[in-house]
Amino acid sequence: MIPPKRAKAKLTNKLVLNEKYVLFDFEMTEPHLLEFQAGQYVSIQVSPRGDRRPYSICNAPSINHKFELLVDMEPMGLGVSYLDQLAFGQEVDILAPMGVFTLSDKADEQALVFVATGSGAAPFRSMLLELLQNQHDTREMILYVGLRHEHYMFWQDEFTELVEAFPNFHFHPVISKASDQWPLCKGRVTDCVSLHQQPENAGYYLCGSQSMIEQVATMLAQKGVPATHVHHEKFF
Amino acid sequence: MTDTTAPIQSKQIGKYHVEVIRDKCIGAASCAAIAPKVFEMDEENIARVISQDGEDDDTKLLAAQSCPTAAIVVTDTTTGKQVWPPEV
Repeated sequence: MIPPKRAKAKLTNKLVLNEKYVLFDFEMTEPHLLEFQAGQYVSIQVSPRGDRRPYSICNAPSINHKFELLVDMEPMGLGVSYLDQLAFGQEVDILAPMGVFTLSDKADEQALVFVATGSGAAPFRSMLLELLQNQHDTREMILYVGLRHEHYMFWQDEFTELVEAFPNFHFHPVISKASDQWPLCKGRVTDCVSLHQQPENAGYYLCGSQSMIEQVATMLAQKGVPATHVHHEKFF
Repeated sequence: MTDTTAPIQSKQIGKYHVEVIRDKCIGAASCAAIAPKVFEMDEENIARVISQDGEDDDTKLLAAQSCPTAAIVVTDTTTGKQVWPPEV
């Protein structure tokens, strides 16, 4: 794994996906390239005194001149406040690539199940784009994304296009406080993962709220999934 | 003239002393990635200090600042003051 280094990047775009989620686009400036593995994150300095906050990279590693971050703007803490007031072209100080939440050895996991809540979907977008579009991986892959309301949905069109382009990919948005019109999975994402028949010898990747990770990991253990096949990002 | 028979003294690079608060560590391993000669992950995937001397002060401070749960305390040994997390 590449050791993390200090680098600089500038804000080039800010796409408001909905009232809760914003996609930030940063161009590398010093150095001009960032080598990373899908699932890794950048640590951004968010205060003059040196506070740092971690954000998963959500673009594929093949695009290495920039990085994209999906940020939940609702908890307006130190990191979100800093990102929110950034001007276009303003530089940020980053440490990257960080983290060990990356894909395991292919031979061990014959299918992949990704379970996210909220912005926990960020590293999975990077992984899926890398696996499907760049590596042409034909293993079965299932993505569950849990959100509170329908109007918090993001990347629905993009994931739907991936479903249409890659028959081995399946996408299940799960809405916990869904309206009566919502036609798909309702309730907790954990229940949806539990109710569906999951593929044999799958590797499970979990990212999002701590409670979801604990619930899904417990449920998988009860179903006999070995702990070595359950991976989760720790900083969410 | 140097006394070559004198025992070798351990020396500390810089003035910062680091300590991991085990209860706060979630095993993100950012410290071990940034300062691998100072921090490592133990068998429970909790960070521990293996040396105070392996990296310079800036690197030790950066490792502490990158910890998502502020589980690393940095103290200036010359003043006794806590450098990170900043005391309020």
